[in-house]
Amino acid sequence: MQIREYLLRRLMIFPLIIVGTSMIVFGLSRVGGNPVAIYLEHEMSAAEVAELEERYGLNEPLPVQYLAWGRGVLTGDMGWSGVSAQPVTEALVNRIGATMELAIFSAIVAIALGIGLGTFGGARRNRWPDHLTRVFSISGASMPIFWFAILLLILFWVNLGWFSTGRSEPTIFSTISHPTGVYTLDALLAGNIRALLDALHHLILPAATLGFGATAIIARMMRSSLVEELSEDYVDAARAKGLPEKLVMRRHARRNALIPTVTVIGLGFGFLLQGTVVVEIIFRWPGLGRWMADAVLRGDQATIMAYVLFTSVLFLTVNLIVDIMYAYLDRRIVLGA
Amino acid sequence: MVDVLAPETTTVQIDGPWVVRLRRLADVSRQVLSNPTTSAGLVIIILLLSLTVLAPVLTEPNVPNPYQMPRDWGARDAPPGTPGHLLGTTSTGGDVFYGVVWGARTSLRLSLIVVGVTVTVGTIVGSLAGFIGGKLDEMLMRAVDVLLAIPELIFALAIAAVLGPSFGNIIFALSVVFWVKYARIIRGQIIHVKQNEYVDAARITGDSKLNIFRKDVLPNSITPVIVQATLDMGGIVLTAATLSFIGLAEAGLAEWGVLVSDGQAGISAGKWWASTFPGLMVFLWALAFNLLGDGMRDVLDPRTEGR
Amino acid sequence: MTVRADTSRELATRPLVASVRDLRVHFEAKAGRVHAVDGVSFEIRDGETLGLVGETGCGKSVTARSFIRLVPTPPGIYAGGEIDFWSTVARRTGVGPIDLLEIPHKEMLAIRGDRIAMIFQDPGKALNPALSIRSQMAEVFYQHRSEEILMSLGPDVPWIIRRAARQQSNSFESILLKMPPWRAKAAGLRKKVDELVAHALTETQIANPRKIMDSYPHELSGGMKQRVLIAQALACHPDLLIADEPTTALDVTIQARILELIAELQERLETSVLYISHDLSLVKEICDRVAVMYAGRIVETGTTEEIFSNPAHPYTRGLMAAVPSATHQRGKLAAIDGTVPELVDPPPSCRFNGRCPYAVDICRTVDPSDIDLGGGHEVACFIYETSLDSSVRPTRERRTS
Repeated sequence: MQIREYLLRRLMIFPLIIVGTSMIVFGLSRVGGNPVAIYLEHEMSAAEVAELEERYGLNEPLPVQYLAWGRGVLTGDMGWSGVSAQPVTEALVNRIGATMELAIFSAIVAIALGIGLGTFGGARRNRWPDHLTRVFSISGASMPIFWFAILLLILFWVNLGWFSTGRSEPTIFSTISHPTGVYTLDALLAGNIRALLDALHHLILPAATLGFGATAIIARMMRSSLVEELSEDYVDAARAKGLPEKLVMRRHARRNALIPTVTVIGLGFGFLLQGTVVVEIIFRWPGLGRWMADAVLRGDQATIMAYVLFTSVLFLTVNLIVDIMYAYLDRRIVLGA
Repeated sequence: MVDVLAPETTTVQIDGPWVVRLRRLADVSRQVLSNPTTSAGLVIIILLLSLTVLAPVLTEPNVPNPYQMPRDWGARDAPPGTPGHLLGTTSTGGDVFYGVVWGARTSLRLSLIVVGVTVTVGTIVGSLAGFIGGKLDEMLMRAVDVLLAIPELIFALAIAAVLGPSFGNIIFALSVVFWVKYARIIRGQIIHVKQNEYVDAARITGDSKLNIFRKDVLPNSITPVIVQATLDMGGIVLTAATLSFIGLAEAGLAEWGVLVSDGQAGISAGKWWASTFPGLMVFLWALAFNLLGDGMRDVLDPRTEGR
Repeated sequence: MTVRADTSRELATRPLVASVRDLRVHFEAKAGRVHAVDGVSFEIRDGETLGLVGETGCGKSVTARSFIRLVPTPPGIYAGGEIDFWSTVARRTGVGPIDLLEIPHKEMLAIRGDRIAMIFQDPGKALNPALSIRSQMAEVFYQHRSEEILMSLGPDVPWIIRRAARQQSNSFESILLKMPPWRAKAAGLRKKVDELVAHALTETQIANPRKIMDSYPHELSGGMKQRVLIAQALACHPDLLIADEPTTALDVTIQARILELIAELQERLETSVLYISHDLSLVKEICDRVAVMYAGRIVETGTTEEIFSNPAHPYTRGLMAAVPSATHQRGKLAAIDGTVPELVDPPPSCRFNGRCPYAVDICRTVDPSDIDLGGGHEVACFIYETSLDSSVRPTRERRTS
């Protein structure tokens, strides 16, 4: 049962790592500039500034400051976002829908395409589909997202005019209410086909950009995983039973090759998260990534800290879930081998 | 009926250690280059390096700082093929070709510095963790886990943002983020040596740690470190270009990411060249090092490809 | 134990099940063409156990896999020869044999697992670790007995169930099959197949088949896994069973039981067995006839008794001497000097000439042909080529190395 122990240990360490990350984020904020800047809402008088310093213990030694800040985070007070002129927490909640929508669509594209491509190449090892898959994978890993996005824009927006930037056509967007903040969901809930199509139309280009790199990562893992499974004895044994090759591939080789591929989902997700910063800038997508980009340019400490903390926690959580899933799926194989 | 033949006695030539190493290097190189995609990567790298070397020859270096894009207000937004501007000009009259060529230099300096720093730091930390072990090792590994929790680009972004927009800060930020893998390689190798049964136990206990490092850890770590460093040469430039694109480098720097960002505004007006060519360079650079690094990894660390 | 046919005469009267003629299987490698199997011929007769013996790398596994065309065809190449096969039906109806190397792929799929079955060396690896025993064994029945199963389900079988029985369901249908109207019918289908699986398992003397069916491979012992694989292989009562070193990966104590099981089943189901092994003592115990293979060629064939008491080929004689036996006196362990030769684009010659103590010029330049020594005993060695002049002919009296 070493797997169970391993998972328990991971679960116990998880909060510790989050604390550690928060310390790094806190440290970063203290490196750059005036700590009180995080909480400044507008031009404040000296008295207000002093009151803030008192409240967040900014005149105390660092560990106390950290605790005060940490308490703030846990109660939803992460300071004031200069970039969006709202409390950080509010700005986060407002923008999270847009980024999650983009990330999830890109993830769906990446997983479907990646597995398909990896299977296509892995099953025909060292023949041209395999080479194609490998070239695609390496290109995907080397591709600067910002360049790819611009190329797509040049082609599909400037030259062909099929797509445009932004998340929606404002006139259509305003025809429905937005309870969830996820445009496609809102459209579905409102039963408004036109809005749904509008949402999807605007998603295509950014999702394709983001998905490209993640597709490459997944395709590459799927390919090598499939090649490995195909060299196993049970695949030959399945053929010896008279099963047609398609069935052998589908039911035996590919199904087992999917399991290790699950592990790169965490990696791919990290890739997606990082990509959103650039993609949201170029496609003028009103999400967290652009929020961070603006904050970086304007030196908005509060936003930067909040974004780093948020994405790290998200990244950690996804990785933990993936590891649990993998341990569950692999349990049978690990115990048997 | 069958008996064992009498053993022959022959004299055996034993080559010196350096001859063996060189021969192995030749063998490995041949194997690596037998793969056409890997060789393609190497060719591209050579071309890129030629660009860096020939920069002052191919273009007129800008004064006073050749790493700043020249501004020619008389020739703004010129399309490619305009006489004197092979790849066109930017919105401030900077020659795109100039940016491409000097950007290669910038990228080379950047990647060499960062790789040098990260390998060194990683080796030191990994050695400390591996040799001293115990509590220090645990602490360092936890710290590594924490560092890895933050996605690389975002971490570098935050560091550079906090320190202020400058290319030097980008270099620093990348160094802070990218050393971890090397620490793991070195530490892993040390642990492997410690656990290794057929290494001479007497020698290990009697030898100084430095000697163990020199004789056992170093030779075996070289290959994974080289592979990782090659891959990082590509990845670092890619990440740096992204950071510059977002706006963390000085304005007007002859750096590919900055150029793409500057050219962004003109796209809707059909001025595609200012962003396309520098971006292409980033892609080619990353691609070349990835191809080479991958090819090296296939040869030096084959796992499933052997069947 | 098989009821051993002691006389070669009796064996020779049994009808043929398979006849391998001049089989050649090559592999494309960077260095050239590897002649892994280079002109192999032998016969398998009804009800007998033929042992194919040789050291690792001699090509016996490739030969065995060629029967069901399991050799991957890049890099493998079926370069020549034929494998003629008579199924029981073919024998009864007087229809001629089929050439296993030539029949179309669909026909081969019908033969695999149904008329010719194969069990592999490592039972732990031959089972898909992620599927239950039930689902893996059921595959054989779905593949080969779907029509009978469907008929036994009665007159009105919906199309979706028909497709499920033939393992042709697509993902959409798979989802439908989990839903109420079709769920019951699908369950009925599964029940029928479960009965078949359970029956196949009991035939191999497994005590509680239902429990085994629900298990996953990692929950079973090595011996049990091999039983399951045997049950799976014999599920459709094949005419020929190819056993590729089935006991190599098992404990010695389990080995005997597995071999007994194979022998018993063989007799009951009237199956012929091609038994691949490098273990001479095993072969002696269970095989009626033996074919000795070296470097891609058969060097000697004959009844077990003949081969073990009168080995003719120098390689066979070397093998016999190298086998430590409980009855022999203690002494030096004899080994055959040298290693298997490189099989890349080999010139005509006897492949054993490099290690043979009696080799002469003709051995290094001409391919030896099969010589009949009588009583079904054949050998490919110039020592027995009576047409040769004594000046060029090697002999056991004169050692040359």
